[in-house]
Amino acid sequence: MTASEEQQILADVSQPESKTYQVSFTGSGSEYFRIWIVNLLLSIVTLGIYSAWAKVRRNQYFYSCTHIAEGSFDYHGNAIAILKGRIAAIVILTLYNIAVRTSGTYTLIMLVILGAILPWLIWRSLQFRLYNSSYRAIRFGFRGSAGQAYMNFLLWPVLTLFTIYLLFPFAHQRIKKFQHSESRFGTTYFSFYAKVSSFYGIYLIGFISAIVAGIVAYKLMGSPFAGIQHGPHTERDPASFIGIFMFMLAFYGIFFLIFPLILTMMQNLIWNNTKLGDHQFHSDLRWGKMTFIIITNILGVICTLGLFTPFAHIRYLKYKLEAISLTTHGSLDNFVSAVQDDVSATGVGMTDMLDFDLSL
Amino acid sequence: MNVSHSIPGRYFDGVSSRLYRVQFNVEEQVAVLTGDAERRYPLSDLRISERTKHAARRVTFPDGDYLEIDDRAAFDHMLLHMGHSDSFVVRAQQSWRTALGFTLLTCVILVLGYLYGLPFAAKYIARSLPPRAEMAIGEGALNFLDQHVFAPSTLPADQQKIIRERFAKLIPASPVATQAGMSSENSTPIEIVFRHSKIGPNAFALPSRQIVLTDEIVNLLNNNDELMGVLAHELGHLNEHHLMRRLIQSSAVGIGATALFGDVSGLVAGIPPLLLDLKYSRDVESDADDYAVATLKFNHIAVENFARAIEKLAQSTKNYEPNPYLSTHPVNSERIARIRKAE
Repeated sequence: MTASEEQQILADVSQPESKTYQVSFTGSGSEYFRIWIVNLLLSIVTLGIYSAWAKVRRNQYFYSCTHIAEGSFDYHGNAIAILKGRIAAIVILTLYNIAVRTSGTYTLIMLVILGAILPWLIWRSLQFRLYNSSYRAIRFGFRGSAGQAYMNFLLWPVLTLFTIYLLFPFAHQRIKKFQHSESRFGTTYFSFYAKVSSFYGIYLIGFISAIVAGIVAYKLMGSPFAGIQHGPHTERDPASFIGIFMFMLAFYGIFFLIFPLILTMMQNLIWNNTKLGDHQFHSDLRWGKMTFIIITNILGVICTLGLFTPFAHIRYLKYKLEAISLTTHGSLDNFVSAVQDDVSATGVGMTDMLDFDLSL
Repeated sequence: MNVSHSIPGRYFDGVSSRLYRVQFNVEEQVAVLTGDAERRYPLSDLRISERTKHAARRVTFPDGDYLEIDDRAAFDHMLLHMGHSDSFVVRAQQSWRTALGFTLLTCVILVLGYLYGLPFAAKYIARSLPPRAEMAIGEGALNFLDQHVFAPSTLPADQQKIIRERFAKLIPASPVATQAGMSSENSTPIEIVFRHSKIGPNAFALPSRQIVLTDEIVNLLNNNDELMGVLAHELGHLNEHHLMRRLIQSSAVGIGATALFGDVSGLVAGIPPLLLDLKYSRDVESDADDYAVATLKFNHIAVENFARAIEKLAQSTKNYEPNPYLSTHPVNSERIARIRKAE
């Protein structure tokens, strides 16, 4: 080994190569439209049974269209497992709906049962989703325990209910922290360090913007309800009817401006504070573009009576995914697969248990 | 068979995330990788991902290691040579002609299902459910209303008694040969409940087999024949299991809309069920009107009484004629015309 080669190696060790890779999403709306409609019809004529296979196909398409650093993602979910999850979900929803319409006591019992099983189901389905995702032939995984799942998906959300949602941003941060710091790629864990105060900041901005927008709308149009106090006959007055209509329109308008704002800030916060090993993620979503995409998507879907749905889905995903990049600290070639997690004796039992996916 | 062209790709071994640049080749039923990694696998062990235009194409090997194809066109060509054929679904997905055919067929099925299939199925299911199921749904509804909307009736007791007795003698159009007060199908008789209300003249049926009459409607109509028309309409709702049917139909529409549009926005997915359900609501009202007409004829009461009852109700609420597509009840003038036509 020559001296210069030795120096080169030393340099590599002390100064790991740093590079930024952009996520690219190659899915096309027109291709996904065809995949969507073919699988939709098959799902309808099989009374929904085929929808599990349709979901596998859709996820495989989305995953395989998502590329970063010369590798793409792959989805390995088993359709039978998804079908089981969907049947369970329908049974739960039906029982819940019956209970709600029957009596208060049954509703309460059902809520308690749901509270007891939902965190467990969410936990299982998180494991299912990550275990069945891979990149560069290395599987993802999820470590989190059932106890943590109950804390994050039951305890904090219930506490937010009792604090008039003041704890909501805190609960949201805890859930994201749970998801992002318990996930792994091969044997390498993700880490998450966004602060609770940042979550409060985002929701506060959303809240204040909504109030300001509401006041502006109110000042511009006057109160639509002013006329109603004069008596029942004003109900037939077309001017006040239009007023109410305008107010509703403004309400929707505000919702469709604030909602993308929170969405944008949230994705950026979450991914700018997530690492995989030493590699740092970034997200650079813009509010204006996000709002434009969401509003035009909704208008498109309404105007085409739903036929634009798959195009809307692709546009939205493409913008969200391509905003994400990864700055490496060292090579991306060194991730190692978790030790044979699907062939060892306990592993087989584990995958059997994992054969369950609740997400619809 | 030897396919001479080798195809460039990226191989991942499933052990580490290292990227190997390789050439893929097929020799004598064996897949051969050469380059950064050297591998040989029998062709029968390979799993090839479905063909698409824009997603990565993958060849997965038995141990979960896989190859991502760089030159997809050359790979398609190789598969064609080897006699590999796409599944029916993949071929359908990749052809615009088939996809448009599927689109048309889906629309036809959805429209027919909405207009005929779902109402038919809901009718059948509602009939075959045990009466207890329906009664359980309405349990507690009257209690709730008593607490929030109603006050005790101020009608004289003998007036209430006369109305109850007349109703008990009313013979419903179906099921045949039973009296309204003691239906044979459902052991529980129908009870008429009188209440004073803040909501004005109104009558409605509860699935707990109760029909609520407000004092205001009794005083407004001030005619027992007309009141029988209204009661026959409510009886139709009960005996035809309209509430259960509506419940089944609106759940199905809700599930369908979520499955179709839930991806884009939950808010958008909520709009179509609202609009679509209104048609079912109007259908059920027309259905109950027909039932009332049949019942009145059966009992030799002039159908005109029912038409007049609706007229009076319409005037009392000073209804402006609403948009027929946004209304839970059919337009009053149409309802009245329809009833008079059936006379």
